[in-house]
Amino acid sequence: MKSDPTFWILARATGLAAFVLLTVSVLAGLVVKSRPFGTRLKPATATDLHRTLALLSLSAVLLHIGTLLVDDAANIGLGAVLVPGLSPYRPVATGLGVLAFELMVLVYASFSLRRRIGQKNWRRLHSTTFGLFALAAGHGLFAGSDTAAPWGLGLYLGAIGAVAAALAWRLLVPPARPQPRPRPAAASAPAPQPKEEPA
Amino acid sequence: MTYRIVIDGSLCSGFGTCAELAPDQFEVGPDGIALARVGESDDPAVLDAAAQCPMGAIAVFDEAGEQAA
Repeated sequence: MKSDPTFWILARATGLAAFVLLTVSVLAGLVVKSRPFGTRLKPATATDLHRTLALLSLSAVLLHIGTLLVDDAANIGLGAVLVPGLSPYRPVATGLGVLAFELMVLVYASFSLRRRIGQKNWRRLHSTTFGLFALAAGHGLFAGSDTAAPWGLGLYLGAIGAVAAALAWRLLVPPARPQPRPRPAAASAPAPQPKEEPA
Repeated sequence: MTYRIVIDGSLCSGFGTCAELAPDQFEVGPDGIALARVGESDDPAVLDAAAQCPMGAIAVFDEAGEQAA
């Protein structure tokens, strides 16, 4: 009897999609402050992109988990997607994926709780995204069925290289000067101004 | 150095970063949009608040009218 590979293919596709979306989300988050594109990419645009891509990545992860649960060949139960190491297939590499998923949910949810937990704690928690990314990359590299293909390996290594480069840029290169705005002190014609409180 | 604070209310999404970094100068209003408590301040914390705003919605100008952050 031939096993239907549909869910296996879907699990691979959603896993790769989640990793690509996570990578681009991390890159968008890193350029909010470092502004390597100067005035061509506004911080507001990068922030919106960052949040949207993060949600899309999390959605892809949920589909990835869902397809693995219904794929009878993968033989993975609810416990194995929540507790690292319970999967019979490459328990360490799949465990990395479980940890990455749980950290992702935590980091995503913490955005809504940032007022309650405070800005500093939120930033600390948010910086664990780099660990999350490393876990996801390790999971893909060592548990992914497509790592053996040159394009698969190239995708993982390219993503890791891009995030490392963007992180180095963020840490080492001072941000470009903010985009100039109409000076509030400009005396002549009273131009329409952004909202501000009277002095 | 006295800084003049300008908030672009159309960009602000109410992250609240500014109000945490410089609580004497910024607050998040009931509509979820940041407000400057004062229009001017000599506290350098306003520079940090402007630089850390995820939406780039805060501009700080120095006495010469040059954008400082």
